[in-house]
Amino acid sequence: MQISEDGNQSSNEIAGADHNILNLLDSMDNYLILVDSLSSSLRQGWLELASARYSMGASRVNSSLFDLKSHQLPNQDLDNAGTDTELPRFTLCKWTSSDEAKLEEDELLKNKSDNPPVQHQESEERKAEESGSPVTANNHAEKERFKSLSMFGTLVSPKLRATQSTFETALETLVEMSNLRASLLRAYDQVQKDRKTDE
Amino acid sequence: MANKPQIRTNSSAIMAMIADEDTITGFLLAGVGNVDLRRKTNYLIVDSKTTVKQIEEAFKEFTSREDIAIVLISQYVANMIRFLVDSYNKPIPAILEIPSKDHPYDPAHDSVLSRVKYLFSAESVAGDRR
Repeated sequence: MQISEDGNQSSNEIAGADHNILNLLDSMDNYLILVDSLSSSLRQGWLELASARYSMGASRVNSSLFDLKSHQLPNQDLDNAGTDTELPRFTLCKWTSSDEAKLEEDELLKNKSDNPPVQHQESEERKAEESGSPVTANNHAEKERFKSLSMFGTLVSPKLRATQSTFETALETLVEMSNLRASLLRAYDQVQKDRKTDE
Repeated sequence: MANKPQIRTNSSAIMAMIADEDTITGFLLAGVGNVDLRRKTNYLIVDSKTTVKQIEEAFKEFTSREDIAIVLISQYVANMIRFLVDSYNKPIPAILEIPSKDHPYDPAHDSVLSRVKYLFSAESVAGDRR
């Protein structure tokens, strides 16, 4: 009886280890697919940027024009890791204004002494309220996009706008890649743990 | 449990970049540029005049900042500081190696994928058998 129980236990362990290895290989495959997608977006972006530079002139599209005045970025990554999970989760918060971001920061600082899950819920409720006005959000996003483009002047080539759009897509891919990387590392740790247990 | 790196529970964070001018220009257009009150940027433009030491310092600074969630680094730049990138093992900020215009992405050099490759390599299996 005991031998069959031990046999069942070891076959369950082997099935668990195989499952972890499959998870790892799946994560790796998905990661490589995303890298390929990112490469393709970046190639398109570089080509569009080169076209914009050709039409506007190299002196109008270069790093010396970057705005070095203190400013908060409009695109932020949210790290949603709660206290009850080990896997970090990245979410892109696109084109929030510096005022909104400051307001969110102030709220979070105010609520820091309170329960963390409540603070996360509050920020989600605010986002739900904000998403009720899509026209305002779109107008706001357009304003922020214009601000980013205005680094290179008021009248810019349509190619530069296309570059902005392409790199926004690349940014979304990057956030997905970050999430996948986190699950890939987790799967890797699981497989390593299984191997050490087997030894 | 004590050896596991702590995961920060910040609600908002930014992305840092160590790449060539065109890549950084593109991402700045997409809205990830940040300059703090001390005029410190969240990016480093790598060109022919950038030294390895500058790249190392930027990498160490970005990976130690609490407000950075993702560090983007061109793979050819990561190869210059490969030892530093491979020895990095915290979950946040996440280090993402990306291709550049002149250097396509090579999965064999990626710090995460090379670890997985080693796990399944013949040497690693042979080591277990011993």
